[in-house]
Amino acid sequence: MLSVSGLFKQYISYDGTPGGGVFGADFALKEGELFTLLGPSGCGKTTTLRAIAGLETPQKGRITLGSRDLFDSQAGINVPMYDRDIGMVFQSYAIWPHMTVFENAAYPLQVGRKNKYSSAEVARKVKEALDMVGLGAFIHRPSTQLSGGQQQRLALARAFTREPHLLLLDEPLSNLDAQLREHMRTELKQLQKNTGVTAIYVTHDQSEALAISDRIAVMNEGKIVQLGAPKEIYNRPTSEFVAHFIGRTNLIHGDLASSAAAGSTATLATPLGPLRCFFPGAAQARSGIAVVVRPEHIRIRKAGAPVEAEGDNRLNGKLKAETYLGEIVEYVVDAQDASGGGKEFLVRTPFVQPIGPGDAVTLSFASERTIALIEA
Amino acid sequence: MTTRPEVWDGSAAPMRMSVARRFGVSPLVGILIAVLLVFLVPPTIYLVQTSLFTTNFDGSFDQFTFRFYLELFTNPRFFNNLVNASIYAVGSAAVALTLGVLQAWIVERTNTPLRHYVFLISIVSLGIPSVLYTVSFLLILGKAGPLNLLLMELTGSTTPLLNVYSMWGMVIIEGIDFAPLTFLLLSSVFRSNDASFEEASMMSGAGIAQTFRHITLRLATPGIMALLILIFIRAFESFETPALVGRPGNVNVLTTEIYQSIQSTTPPNYGQAGAFSMALMLIVILLLVWYNRLSRHAEKYQTITGKGFRPRVMDLGKWRFLTAGLLVLLFIIMIGLPVGIVVYASFLPYYEGVTAKSFTQFTLANYAQVFNSQSFKSSIGNTLILGAATASLVCPFTALCAWLAARRHRGAWILDQLATMPLIFPAIVMGVAFLNVFLHMPFAFYGSLLSVILASMVRYLPYGMRYSYAGVLQVHRELEEASALSGARQATTFLRVVVPLITPALITCWLFVFLLSVKAVAAQILLVGPKSQVIAVTLFDLWENGQVTELAAMGVTWMSLMTVVSTIFYLIARRYGLSIR
Ligand SMILES: Nc1ncnc2c1ncn2[C@@H]1O[C@H](COP(=O)(O)OP(=O)(O)OP(=O)(O)O)[C@@H](O)[C@H]1O
Ligand SMILES: [Mg+2]
Repeated sequence: MLSVSGLFKQYISYDGTPGGGVFGADFALKEGELFTLLGPSGCGKTTTLRAIAGLETPQKGRITLGSRDLFDSQAGINVPMYDRDIGMVFQSYAIWPHMTVFENAAYPLQVGRKNKYSSAEVARKVKEALDMVGLGAFIHRPSTQLSGGQQQRLALARAFTREPHLLLLDEPLSNLDAQLREHMRTELKQLQKNTGVTAIYVTHDQSEALAISDRIAVMNEGKIVQLGAPKEIYNRPTSEFVAHFIGRTNLIHGDLASSAAAGSTATLATPLGPLRCFFPGAAQARSGIAVVVRPEHIRIRKAGAPVEAEGDNRLNGKLKAETYLGEIVEYVVDAQDASGGGKEFLVRTPFVQPIGPGDAVTLSFASERTIALIEA
Repeated sequence: MTTRPEVWDGSAAPMRMSVARRFGVSPLVGILIAVLLVFLVPPTIYLVQTSLFTTNFDGSFDQFTFRFYLELFTNPRFFNNLVNASIYAVGSAAVALTLGVLQAWIVERTNTPLRHYVFLISIVSLGIPSVLYTVSFLLILGKAGPLNLLLMELTGSTTPLLNVYSMWGMVIIEGIDFAPLTFLLLSSVFRSNDASFEEASMMSGAGIAQTFRHITLRLATPGIMALLILIFIRAFESFETPALVGRPGNVNVLTTEIYQSIQSTTPPNYGQAGAFSMALMLIVILLLVWYNRLSRHAEKYQTITGKGFRPRVMDLGKWRFLTAGLLVLLFIIMIGLPVGIVVYASFLPYYEGVTAKSFTQFTLANYAQVFNSQSFKSSIGNTLILGAATASLVCPFTALCAWLAARRHRGAWILDQLATMPLIFPAIVMGVAFLNVFLHMPFAFYGSLLSVILASMVRYLPYGMRYSYAGVLQVHRELEEASALSGARQATTFLRVVVPLITPALITCWLFVFLLSVKAVAAQILLVGPKSQVIAVTLFDLWENGQVTELAAMGVTWMSLMTVVSTIFYLIARRYGLSIR
């Protein structure tokens, strides 16, 4: 569908100093997929999107949509944005204030050069698009009289009217309040699945990304650091950055005595004692291997209580603090290492335990939830 | 401070309040209002009186009469002037706006090379006195000018084909003269629009031209409309071009008629000048009301900008060289040719058009004369004092007024209204009004430099107000509240927090008022005396006397001086990232 390879775009300031941008991004989209670019602010998500849209000219790289080259720095191809057949929803919505709802949505049909539509056709298509996003009743309103959420829908409808091959969405929900955001993201996903349009979605909100994406590309400092399905990204992070960026996590470093095969479980010597870890990729014997354990994958109980499952990693520690968050409880535990020093562990469980700060506790977690940060 | 009771309950308490309090005004605001009234009321009263009384030889008022107003309706010249002024204003507004829109769009919205220089050039051109600018175009378009010579060459005609001393000459010259300011005002209109409006259009499949027409231009329309009226008003009340271009060709407008009733009639017909002035003012007031309506409307569109605002430019691709060429062409027409011909004329013993022979006669005699002339030196000195004094008085004063008004001090809205009131006086009308005030002073005041400075100060109050207001609005209220919570009194807050923060805006204000106040002739021409000659008036007189080459040498000298000032201004503005509006 869409393939992006070696995309490189660096902003150069007026005085010639090079700035941020995207430094070599590769990815390919499947037909009908909702693909998300996720990363912290300034990591180059918008830049990538704008390069695909043609709003920004990259210095290097190649962008192909279907069988058509949109951009190729080597072949000197650069299709102008109005010829790319890509729909886009802007972060600011960019709803033209001097036009009505209808005029906004009809615009792409009226200005396009390839297809000429009769006004009856325009009216029908616009009505369809507006009905789809639930704005059918507002068709003749001035666009300035729409709420934030309605503007967002209109932006979406406008992007859809031309039935683009690809839909780009740049943080489309970031201007909405928390409740509406959750509502709209479900709607958005529905809409995308119903229409079958391929879409790239940009966000810096990890829960949003996990909730709606088919696949996620996590970006950092202008590069894609991991690409995969939400579950994979969450459960099998390959770097400390991804592990920390997607949800909260506990990180431990340890030494590997003998090499481990990909997909195997091996024992890592850590300051907290030996830990059985899962290796998504092969690793040679070396020191300083990082492993992560998600807080919700750790069980906590009072020291001395019966063990539930064999083969689990087990650590002793002292409960430092507990925070009641409503549906879950969060514990901070000081785990003791061999020298008597501590390492803070974060634990999340839905069950309130009969423990309080100062109590001695035991943590246990499965070896397949103890992930060594090695790329598969 | 106690709060004023919303409804007077009939008790005697409010009676004990100070007068200022009773009118809902804080003491500081009260003092400032009083200061403004001192400067505004006398000229207004005298202007009204002039139009209602016959004036004696010594300038004192004699009999009450409506004659001058009645004459307005019987005098065919009045209607003729009115029609001329309207055509002239519409035409020159159209020219200025076309040039301004084109440049503002290219500079603010596209990636055309060289575009950043347009700012510098526009500001530098503000330093050219209007008289000089008009004269330079008369030299270019005049009978012996290069354009006519070229046309005669091409067509084989033996007489000049173009007569610049006509309506079209006025329209073109005034339009071009006003283009740089139009550009500066418009560039902020174009800049404040979120680029994603245009990008969304391009993503919808529209090309650059379609996007410009359907989105950029439409979004800017309210701003452009407001500006159109503003330029219309400016042209309607302008004096230089009608006086230098229209008058010789017998195309008169209201302002030149007023000037003539005082300057070229003996004894001066103050009554007629007064009535004409009142009529002109009435028209300007009506237009200003309309302008205010529209400009409020113009802000409507600017409220819709979301997060992720990116004022970006459009990539024109290969077309950018065309637009760059256009900018260069405009530069040549608007600056290159006029400055070129003035420089050229300044080296000639006498001016007779651009001929091959002239180049062999180059001489520095004009400059020698200019530099040795005492009157020229005092003229430069006076002008610099005038500009500096006007700017130094106007800017701090309006800064204080603007701050009080922006922070909604009680009664401060009156300050705001009063300080912008002089806008309703066309420059020449203000000249008439102050002329009468000064003539009626118990001591000799008319013709002194101080009198010219005072009039100029009043005239540029609204401009100062505009820059100060913009500066004050940028200061977030919480910064001041933080100071107040730290225990600072209001005066301390103003001096320690507000003043430092608005200093960049004050610098812009100062330089702008300086440039504007030394540029125009209309406000000063009726007021200066032998001891208070200023450059613009001197240039005007030289032209009237036909001393073209001396005028050119003097103009070049003054322009060089002003270019230095403008460039410093530009550099400061860039340094502080000021918006130049
Ligand atoms: N027009 C520009 N000129 C110079 N640098 C820019 C420009 N636009 C973006 N950058 C820089 O490029 C980098 C990537 O910016 P980009 O807008 O792609 O970030 P982003 O991932 O979309 O961030 P956010 O989540 O905050 O929107 C940043 O370091 C930014 O400062
Ligand atoms: Mg972004």
